[in-house]
Amino acid sequence: MQNILIVDDEPDVRDALKRVLDLAGYSARTAANAMDALAELERIPADVVITDIIMPKINGVQAIEMICKAFPATRIIAISGGGNFGITSYKPRAITTTAYLASAQSAGAHLVLTKPFEAVELIQAIEEVLGVGHA
Amino acid sequence: MVRLRTSFANYVTVWVVLLHFVLLPALFFAMGYVIRKSHEDLFVEHARTFARVLAEEFEAGVALDSPERTEDLLDLAISHGEARYAELFDRGRSIRSQLGSTGIVAPRHTDLGFAQGGDNIYFIVLPVVRSGHNAELRLGFDEQPTQDRIHLALTRMLWVLASYLTVAVGIAVILSYRLSRPIHQLRNVSRAIASGDYGQPLNVSSGIRELHELATDLEDMRRELVGVNDRLRTKVKEMEISEGQREELQKQLRHRQRLETVGTLASGIAHEINNVLVPIILFTDTVLKDLTLSSASRADLERVLAAARRAKDVVKKILTFSRELDEAKLALIDLRGVVTEGLNLFAALAPSSIEIRTEIDAAIPLVKADATLALHLVINLCSNAYQAMEGAEGVLTVGLRYQERASEGAITQLCVEFWVSDTGHGMDPGTLERIFEPFFTTRSVGQGTGLGLSVVHGIVESFGASIAVETQIGVGTTFRIFFPTTAQAGIRSDTDVPVA
Repeated sequence: MQNILIVDDEPDVRDALKRVLDLAGYSARTAANAMDALAELERIPADVVITDIIMPKINGVQAIEMICKAFPATRIIAISGGGNFGITSYKPRAITTTAYLASAQSAGAHLVLTKPFEAVELIQAIEEVLGVGHA
Repeated sequence: MVRLRTSFANYVTVWVVLLHFVLLPALFFAMGYVIRKSHEDLFVEHARTFARVLAEEFEAGVALDSPERTEDLLDLAISHGEARYAELFDRGRSIRSQLGSTGIVAPRHTDLGFAQGGDNIYFIVLPVVRSGHNAELRLGFDEQPTQDRIHLALTRMLWVLASYLTVAVGIAVILSYRLSRPIHQLRNVSRAIASGDYGQPLNVSSGIRELHELATDLEDMRRELVGVNDRLRTKVKEMEISEGQREELQKQLRHRQRLETVGTLASGIAHEINNVLVPIILFTDTVLKDLTLSSASRADLERVLAAARRAKDVVKKILTFSRELDEAKLALIDLRGVVTEGLNLFAALAPSSIEIRTEIDAAIPLVKADATLALHLVINLCSNAYQAMEGAEGVLTVGLRYQERASEGAITQLCVEFWVSDTGHGMDPGTLERIFEPFFTTRSVGQGTGLGLSVVHGIVESFGASIAVETQIGVGTTFRIFFPTTAQAGIRSDTDVPVA
């Protein structure tokens, strides 16, 4: 049974993802932020980490870099709903979902997914990253 | 101290009169003295000569020897010598001419001067020396005729001087008037200039050099002022124009800032909603997998899922649009092709109640734009026009032309104008002010997202083009987009693009 860690600051998003993955037969755990996620991975390594990009303190891109460094075998899926880090840093047409996900990918994410997505899309994404990994 | 101010003419006249009042009496007394003196001298000379001649006659002749002859000679002095008194005193005996005035007593010596003694008579006493005689000739000459002549001469002189004074004052008045007339004209012109009227030309023709020069200088100054005034007016006009431009730019800036603020909010809201949609979609999906659900509950949940997906689409539109603008690839494109393609797509959607007209010029230069976004632009504007005419018959006109566009600074710029015109309901000023804001819509909920025109605005900005709107309630609306062109952009007119 594949071990999956979900990292998102929104409890509803975490729980929804966990529910879908549990039903799909995966062993899913959750973490509310990057530090918790690293501690959790330290405790029990995960096959796949699904992480949000926009999170307080340590954002998703930084978290991906850290996970890639500490756990190179872990597959990473970045998810984002767009928006911006803070209203003061708003640059029209510059920071968009695409930009976040592109930077996540360059930081080491194996796949990116735009929020919101269907359950099917999530399962397909996980199968894809695992399939690529185990091929 | 109050300083009396008087006109130039009065000033000159007063001074001329004052001058003559000082000079003329002096002249009168000086000339009077000369006249009086010459008349007196003449009189005295005559009297003395006559007396000498008579005395010599007595000395040389025999008249002394006979009283009759003596009296004859004395009578001669009265009748021919203008004397009024003649007497010969010889050895205690006095012989007097009976022709002379009576009651006159002669003094014992000659008068010292004319008009002495208050008797109007000038006395001359001469010794007559002859052997055996020690006589004395006493003659008295009448001063009155000489006095009268002097008086007459003085009176005449007074008249002459009075006439002179009159003529002099008259000349002074005329002269001062002639002098003051050009000065008055100069004053009038300088007053006109002071009050801002520079249009009046200065026509002062004065024979006086200084006045002529002053008039010339003033006329030069007036011309210079007219020039300065014209230049100032031009300058002020320019400043007004640039002020207008500044206001226009500020307005644009405010508008842009508002759009950015709204855009920031929209982006933040999109993020939040996307996060909220994740549990809604996933949980609903999960529940739907429960096979024990009743068909009614299943139908309800399907609707929840459908609604969530619609929400997702709306948010996606905002973000997709941002991304498209982000990734816009500006290249020189032929707008005719884009417009034709957009119209073809749109014509399939539009009902037959709408008549579509095209006014596309044959020769249109290439413009800098992104073909995909330009297509969005055409479709968005056409959809907007169609919605403005919804439920009624109407005409939608799409045009494209190459022309000069005059901006505020009177600088004309070559540009390609693309316009979409409808015969719909038009907009009020309040609506017009806000049409480019994201999520601003006049349509009821569910009929539109309110993103169409903000998308148009964003696209136009990303092309560096500008947009203008003309609208009239009940008549229709025209959106005009001006794509700046450069001289290098070639004009494309090789092929005629068919329009559906």
